[in-house]
Order: sequence, then structure tokens, then C-alpha cells
Amino acid sequence: MTKKKKYALAAGVFALLLAYLSFYSVRETEFALVTQFGRPVRTVSNAGLHVKWPFQSILWFDRRLRIYNPRPSEFLTRDKKNLVIDNYVAWRIEDPNRFVQSVGDTSAAEMRLHDIIWSGLSASLGTQDLETLVSATPDKAQAAPMLDLLTATADRAALEQYGIRIVDVRIKRLNLPEQNKQSVFARMRAERERIAMQYRAEGEQQALILRASADRQKEEIISSAYKDAEKVRGQGDAEATRIYGQAYSKNPQFYKLLRTLESYKKVLDDKTTIILNSDSELLRVLTRGEAGAK
Amino acid sequence: MSILLGPQTELEAVAEVLVPVEKRRKRHIWAWVLGLWIISGAYIVPADQQAVVTRFGAVVNPRVPPGIHYALPWPVDSVYKLKVRQLQRTLIGGEIPDAILGRSEPSSSEFLSGDQNLLNVRVVVQYSVRDPKDFLFQTADVERVVRAAVESELARRIARTPVDDILTTEKIAIQNDVLQSAQHALDGYQVGVTISSINIEDVTPPAEAADAFRGVAGARADAIRLVNEAEGYANDLIPRARGEAAQLAEDSQAYKDGKINRAAGDAARFEEIAAEYAKAPKVTATRAYVEAMEQILPKIKKVIADSNGNLDVTIVRRDDNSPTNSNGDTSR
Repeated sequence: MTKKKKYALAAGVFALLLAYLSFYSVRETEFALVTQFGRPVRTVSNAGLHVKWPFQSILWFDRRLRIYNPRPSEFLTRDKKNLVIDNYVAWRIEDPNRFVQSVGDTSAAEMRLHDIIWSGLSASLGTQDLETLVSATPDKAQAAPMLDLLTATADRAALEQYGIRIVDVRIKRLNLPEQNKQSVFARMRAERERIAMQYRAEGEQQALILRASADRQKEEIISSAYKDAEKVRGQGDAEATRIYGQAYSKNPQFYKLLRTLESYKKVLDDKTTIILNSDSELLRVLTRGEAGAK
Repeated sequence: MSILLGPQTELEAVAEVLVPVEKRRKRHIWAWVLGLWIISGAYIVPADQQAVVTRFGAVVNPRVPPGIHYALPWPVDSVYKLKVRQLQRTLIGGEIPDAILGRSEPSSSEFLSGDQNLLNVRVVVQYSVRDPKDFLFQTADVERVVRAAVESELARRIARTPVDDILTTEKIAIQNDVLQSAQHALDGYQVGVTISSINIEDVTPPAEAADAFRGVAGARADAIRLVNEAEGYANDLIPRARGEAAQLAEDSQAYKDGKINRAAGDAARFEEIAAEYAKAPKVTATRAYVEAMEQILPKIKKVIADSNGNLDVTIVRRDDNSPTNSNGDTSR
């Protein structure tokens, strides 16, 4: 190998080294903090290929959104009710320079976040009644403005102090303290028993109404039918009476005779004793012979 | 470009030191290496996937459709492939195997209803990638964000709803509302996913109050049974009453018809007889009288007195008392 070639090789290696130290690429998920002998010089937030001085070094920070989930803790509302609240914080690093100076790493950041959120949450819950969070009437359960306010103030504080952006603070789970649960279960049971009784009573009520209504309808149907039936019978009787009257009034005397004789047949039975005068119409012929028939 | 050719340059150096061959052969190797390097930029995106291409970390193509494509080779471009259509599934309220083994955290599925009842709720969330770029680069742990957003919306929605509605009528509405609001939250975070479904798999009261809840179900069944029985009673009673009414109506009609017909018959008969009577009134009357007497008198006891009205009553008494006499005989 000639000397010239050796120089060329050395120059090439040197150029490569220089390039390696001067170029760096920033990914979409990262911030690059350029430091010069430990002192932060600038923050690079747009992804792509960048240039720096070879003596500058770089600190990388994950800029992605992260979820921090503090341990559930107990809070007191304005109306002195205890609530166990499990919340989450969506956050990301916004200002790497401030972040590295005040916090350093993620777990330290989470500790700071915990403090900010815990104090913010206990302060804002102290101004709210329980029904802001838990209520059967949806209009009352409006926790969103409170949480939005909490997010805004926490965000301001975190950004200023730690270079952290708090995107959202939300309540993930509402629960009651363990020691209250037994009484809640007892209340739930009592409530269920009341509802069960109510169902039974309502069922009985409805059943009674149905039966009574059925009885009434039956009575209505039968009595109405009776009314119509009696009317029809009456019509029959009236018509019959009219027919009889019409017929018999043509010869009332004869009718009287016939009817009287008919009634004798019914009235006089084998228990009847009758004393007949021998002079009677029937026996006159018997006693007087032919002359009796006159 | 020189930094990118680093490995090749080193190769060149090695080649020069170790293999002193002719220049033509050396160029040949170089051509091969360069060619392979260039070809290595080709990639295939399968049918169910999409790809994102970055150049030195910055996104240059946020959405590469399926097919064969070319990107600049390492270390310039990077290709991230994603199964965009595949539904990812996550469970809120205790993982199923844990629940079976009884290892799940007891309060992990407990939610507080609007009327301060505790309920165990298990929800399955399905989501898919909507924006590959956001999905890859905006969030550190997508599943965790999705779970947090859905859980928080679920807790909020349940905390505004009475327990009975959650157990019965509101289930679908809760699913829809949570899907919408959780999607809204995720859009705010730029997570780049679409929630395709939120399904409440299971809502159960806590074990400590479960029997009371079953009692309500039993009471409801009892109430329904009572009402059904009453309906049965009504359904039996009313048709029968109608039948009875119809019977009454028929009977009365029959009575009416019978009465009228009989009257007509009687009247016709009388008129016939009366017509004959008019022809010979005296004889007819006598005949009627005598005929009637013939029918009546045989059945009855008769005592005939003389025209003066004298009557031997002893005869009557003896006749009358004949049963008493026999009684007297036995007593004597």
C-alpha cells in the first residue's frame, strides 16, 4: 500500500467519524436535547436528520403520551362522604430542558404528578357534594367541569415546574371505602327487599283489580241479559194477553162459563166433599125426571 | 451520503488489505454489494396490513397500502407494518382466568351506581388501528390508554344511572354512550384507534347482596304469576257469563214465542167454539156444563141433600171418619 493510499484511508475514516458525530436523526416519538459539556443548548422536536457540533452530545426523551395511574386513594367530599377514587393522568414531556433539570426520569415525574393531582383532587372534591360524582339524576352528576378545571391548573403548574404537559385527568373508578361496604351491602339488601315487596304488592293489586273487573263484567253481562230476557218475556205475556183479550172479548159470557168450568176441574179434587142440593141443575133430572130438564 | 456507506468502505479496506486481486474483480464485488443494498429497500405490505415509512425518524409516508413497494435502504428509511384490520381485544373488570381462579383483585370490577349500589361489571372492548402514524408514534402504550379512557367513561356513565336501569333497560344505551365518549377522549389524545365495540358482558350484584337481588327476580315472577292467574280467571269467567247471557236471552225468547203461540192457539180454539156456541148457545152451554161435571164429580165425595136442604150428617161423619174408626178399633 502506498503512502498516499494510507493517507486517503485515514482521511476517509476521520471523515466518517466526524459525520457520525455531527449527524443525528430524531424519531417521531422523541425529543432530542442537545447539550454542550453537560449544559443544554437546544431542544430538537421535529423528527428527521439534524446536525450538531461533534463535541455536543444528546439526551433523548420519549415524547409520547403516557398514562400514569396513581394508587386509589380516599377523598372527602364537601358533604363529608368518603370516596375511594382511582384516577389516571394522561401526560407527556413538553419541555425536555425543564424536565431534565427538575425531574430527570419517568418515575420521579410520576411522583411529582401524584403530588400535584392528589392535592388538586382533594381540594376540588372538598368543594363538591357527593352527588356531583354519583347521582341517579344525570343532570346533577356533572364532574366534567371540575376535572377540566383541575386538569388546567395541574397542567399549568406541571408545565412551569417540570416541563410536563398534563393532557387529561380523569376519574377511572369510583368506589366506597372498605369499611363502609358492609353497611352499603346491608342497605342494598334492604332496598331489594323493599322492591321485592313492592313487586308482590303490585302484582296482588293488579290481580285483584283484574278479578274484580272480571266479576263486574260478568255481573253486567248477566244482569243486562236478565233485563233483556224479562223484557222479552213481558212482551210475550203482553202479546198473549192481547190475543186472549181480543178473542175472549168477542163472547165474554161464554168465556166466563168455559173458564169457570175449567177452574172447577182444577179446584175440585178427590179431597173435596161437595153437598149437592137435589134441586140443583145437575140433579134436577135425577129427582124430577124429564120435567127437571126444563 | 458518506456516513451511510460506512460498512462498504470498511469492506473496501479489508478487501484491499487481505485480498490483493485485480481491479476488475474488485469492482465486480463492489457492484454486487451496492446492488444488494439497493434491492434491500424493497418490501411487501400484505393484504391485511398498512405500512408507515420514516426517513431518519421523520414520517415520509404515513399510509402505504398493501402491495410491493420501495423505500431507501437502511439506515435511511424504516418501514413499520401494522395489521390495521385486526381487532384488538381488551377486558375491563378482571381478566377471565383470574376470575375463575379467584385471584382477581376484589374491587377491580366494582362500579358505583348512581344510587350508590355496588355492581360488578365486565366489559370487553374491541378496537382497531385507524391512523397508523398516530398509533405508532403518539402513545407509549395504546392498550393502556384505551382501557383508561373506556374505564373512566364507564365509571362516569354508571355513576349517573340507577342500579335497576343498569341491570335491565339501560345496558345498550350505556354501551353506546361509553363508546362515543371514550372515542371522543381517545381522539383528543390522538391515539389513532377506532373503538369498534364496547360490550357489557356481565353485570352482577355483589355476592353479599346477590340473594336479595334474586329475591327481587322471584318477587317479579310471583307478581307476574298472580296477574296471569287473575287474567286466566277473567278469561274463564267472562266467556261463561256471555254464554249464560245468551242462554237467558234464548230462554226468554222461547218463553215469549211459546206464550204467544199458546195464546194464539187458545184464542183460535175459543173462537172456534164460540162460533158454534153462537149458533146454539143454550145447548152448548148445557153440554159444556154437563161434560165438565162428568169429569169433576167422579173424583170427589158427594153428599146429596133434599130440596129442603135437610141432610143426614151422621152419614157424612161415618164416611169421613172411617180411617179414625179403624184407629179407634186398634186403640180399643
